Amino acid sequence: MGKKKQKVVLPPELPPDVPDEDIEVTAEDVHFINENLDYASYLSNLDTKSITKHVSRVADVNEGALELLYEKRMRKKLDGKDKEQPGMEVDPVDALPVKTPLGKLYYRRVTKEPKEGEEESKEGDSITKGPSFVKLTKTEKRLNTKKSRKEAKKQAKEEEVLQIPQAEVLDEVKKDLTAEEARESKKYKLAVLGTSLLADPESNIKNIKEMLEISKDEDSAIVMLGLKSLVAVFKDIIPGYRIRLPTEKEQEMKVSKDVKKMRFFESTLLSAYKAYVQKLVALQQQTVYKRVAVRCLCTLLEALPHFNFRESLLAAVVKNISSQDDVVRKFCCATIKSLFTDNGKHGGEATVEAVKMIAELVKAYNCQLHPDSIEVFLSLSFDEDLGRPEKPVMNKRGQNNKSKKKKDADDQKQMLENERKKNRKEMLSKTREEVKADFKAASFAQDTHERRRMQSQTLSAVFETFFRILKHAVESTSEASSVPGTSGSHPLLAPCLNGIGKYSHLIDMDFMPDLMNSLGKLAGNGSKSSEKSYQLTVSERLRCCIVAFKVMKSNLDALNVDLHDFFVQFYNLILEYRPGRDQGDVLAEALKIMLCDDRQHDMQRAAAFIKRLASFSLCFGSAESMAALVTVKHLLLKNLKCRNLLENDAGGGSVAGAIAKYQPDAMDPNRSGALASVLWELNLLKKHYHPAVCSIANSISTMNTSNNQVYHSHVSPLQAYTDLSQLDKSFAPSSDVKKGNNKKRKGSDNMPVKVVSEADLIDQMDENVVRKKLGEHFFLLRDIQENEKLRSELDRTTLSLNLYDQYKKQKKRKTR
Amino acid sequence: MRPLDENETTAVFNKLHKFVGNNLKNIVLDAQSNEGPDSKPGRYCFRLQKNRVYYVSESLIKRATNVKREKLVSLGTQIGKFTKVGKFQLTIQSLNLLAANAKHKVWLKPTSEMSFLYGNSVLKGGLGRITENIQVNDGVVVFSMSDVPLGFGDAAKSTVDCRKMDPNGIVVHRHADIGEYLRMEDDL
Repeated sequence: MGKKKQKVVLPPELPPDVPDEDIEVTAEDVHFINENLDYASYLSNLDTKSITKHVSRVADVNEGALELLYEKRMRKKLDGKDKEQPGMEVDPVDALPVKTPLGKLYYRRVTKEPKEGEEESKEGDSITKGPSFVKLTKTEKRLNTKKSRKEAKKQAKEEEVLQIPQAEVLDEVKKDLTAEEARESKKYKLAVLGTSLLADPESNIKNIKEMLEISKDEDSAIVMLGLKSLVAVFKDIIPGYRIRLPTEKEQEMKVSKDVKKMRFFESTLLSAYKAYVQKLVALQQQTVYKRVAVRCLCTLLEALPHFNFRESLLAAVVKNISSQDDVVRKFCCATIKSLFTDNGKHGGEATVEAVKMIAELVKAYNCQLHPDSIEVFLSLSFDEDLGRPEKPVMNKRGQNNKSKKKKDADDQKQMLENERKKNRKEMLSKTREEVKADFKAASFAQDTHERRRMQSQTLSAVFETFFRILKHAVESTSEASSVPGTSGSHPLLAPCLNGIGKYSHLIDMDFMPDLMNSLGKLAGNGSKSSEKSYQLTVSERLRCCIVAFKVMKSNLDALNVDLHDFFVQFYNLILEYRPGRDQGDVLAEALKIMLCDDRQHDMQRAAAFIKRLASFSLCFGSAESMAALVTVKHLLLKNLKCRNLLENDAGGGSVAGAIAKYQPDAMDPNRSGALASVLWELNLLKKHYHPAVCSIANSISTMNTSNNQVYHSHVSPLQAYTDLSQLDKSFAPSSDVKKGNNKKRKGSDNMPVKVVSEADLIDQMDENVVRKKLGEHFFLLRDIQENEKLRSELDRTTLSLNLYDQYKKQKKRKTR
Repeated sequence: MRPLDENETTAVFNKLHKFVGNNLKNIVLDAQSNEGPDSKPGRYCFRLQKNRVYYVSESLIKRATNVKREKLVSLGTQIGKFTKVGKFQLTIQSLNLLAANAKHKVWLKPTSEMSFLYGNSVLKGGLGRITENIQVNDGVVVFSMSDVPLGFGDAAKSTVDCRKMDPNGIVVHRHADIGEYLRMEDDL
């Protein structure tokens, strides 16, 4: 501390230092001024000191003779100063002077102080703490630079005041200054305390209480600064273990000095930390401090998940996980995610707690939360080799029991044979167990059993949440149908479905029927039972289908289950899909998972899907229709009989099965009789404006019925969709019309070129005409709307006028 | 030949409903026949003739009235018969009708088709594919992997239980299979 105080005092002394030595140089200066007398008067106004110093520096570089002088000066100076001086000259930022509005050159020497101190602390830190100090120094630096800048300004102001000696202004400025000075001094104190703490936490631990005191200030800025700097300090000085306060017995025991010191450090640290966390939790209720407090909580939780009071930190963070404030929510979510991803820091316990807390939260808020709060589950990771932690554990235990029984039986036999052997075995096993226990205690690696237990707990909490959301979605909608005004929106459903899809391989078989049931209900959107109507979007329902398939697929135990209900739902959902409104990638994923990945299909169903997809690729956007056509191609390749659809004559009769006529509005794909129809859509799609769609339609239509080549297109619908939708952004259809025409030109050589070009022209003309007409139409529409608005306004004003007249009349009557 | 009375109708419909579920509507109401001189498509109905139930189009019924009851051997498609006790049984001839409207299906692996056609039950090991949501005692139509209907029967296990079974467990109890056309030629 003492050292630093010295440094604080020093810098103001430096400027007066300069003139003493500069006598000779001023002579030079005088000479210079004499030469340019015109400017002399102007120069007299300037602060000669700084300028002379500046000049002297230049001179120093130029003339070797002056170096001697400088050396003398250096010798005169104290060692401490000596250290500082080179630092200043070397530092590029500080070497540059600041010019005040009055034209004075001001050397930022004050700025050096805190940095110098910090550098020292850095050195101390890097020895003691190592890697984790980088972030801290950043925040500290920010703090310090701010402070130094303000101080510089202050000094400039003071000098200004001196220059213009007017009493009134002085008073005013002084008033300002006292407030500002107080603030500055507090800031400065914070920085000093913080750096001292970082330099030697064990001996300076008392300072933390002072910092806490400062952060109780009335000034919100100071409080924020205090909180932030405390975070930095705590992050750095808190040890990598959990502190357990010594019991009374332990306190009574005699201990060495070091241990005493350590205990004191730990206890003060713990109490300060406790106070700080409580303060943060309290402060986050206030709107002013909310963001700061939450941010502090998040950084603390992220950096120190192993330390005491994790529960309160977690509780506070989880509480804010679905906050209305975007910034706060994002902070909390990021923190929880990082908590989930690096389990190593806290050994998985925090994960379990967090997941349980979120589950509680979902329960408490009745599933009305922000989707982000469930999305964090997606970053959870379960060991693959643990696979289904819930059941296998049981199984293995059973196996163990069995094997133990077997062993016991063997042992009994052996015991009969030889008791000595058995004794030796027991001894061996005992010693082995002891060694194992010792190893466990010594090794940092987690026990696999413990890990398994932890993960299964987490998993059960996660699935509990998921199932709660699903159940809520199913139940609440039935309520909503009874009260039509309240539309049951399900903010959590989409992330929940994603989560179930992701962890589908971990779901217990016993839950499967219920899960499938509710998924089916949601996907069906109440189409079966007319009195129920679920207000779900098409994408959500598609997601339900996808999840059902994923769940089934990952749980296939050599049993190929045909999810007919979901196919029916999907078949009808294709009708309800709207390119702009719904998410195309979900549709593409559904196409991929349901139609392409599934191995077998009924012929009827495949045909129905082929027909429907082909007809709807006519009215989808190009990307969606591309995905649909890829699926169609895939289905046609797999199902030989469906290639009858490509033939010119409608099959009907025996080929089409029981239904002789194609029924496009049939709900069940099996009842649509699509085999009796012809894929005429392909001919239209060949003229599609997008060349990719065009080409795939061509390739499908040339597929041969007799040829049984088994070649599979490797492009999945999802991939095709993403490719094309990305292309679409840079793709201008108008330019492609020409391309299409070019193709036509190539295809039909006998057509005269002139006609084609005319057609081109006509196309362009048409486009212009259409554009004009559309423009007119929309103008008209807008006019009509404006008219309506004006009219309603007019009506309102006339009404109010009338009312006012009536009111006046009444008043008059009363007065009479 | 006569229409079914009320008890008989419920018996027949119950049996059919077990296999086709809500698709029963398709069989009874929506199915349209384009036979006969009428330009308007006629409906299909059920008729009883010598304890056997037939699924016949209206125009055929009109023409069949010309034949004496004792002399009439068969008309339309036979779908089942009433036993002497008065219970209704679906016969193998109804397979096409059931297969087109089936709610629950089971696909057999090619290796186990033969065994089923000899009159055995469907085992878990022979199961190629199965629709979800089958409950115990639901009516199930059995297909080959290439979607040829082979027969029908009762589910012995639900889809969920099927997963946990050992491969020798029975999944579907056989009612009828197309092997009967050879084995029981005289009875049909």
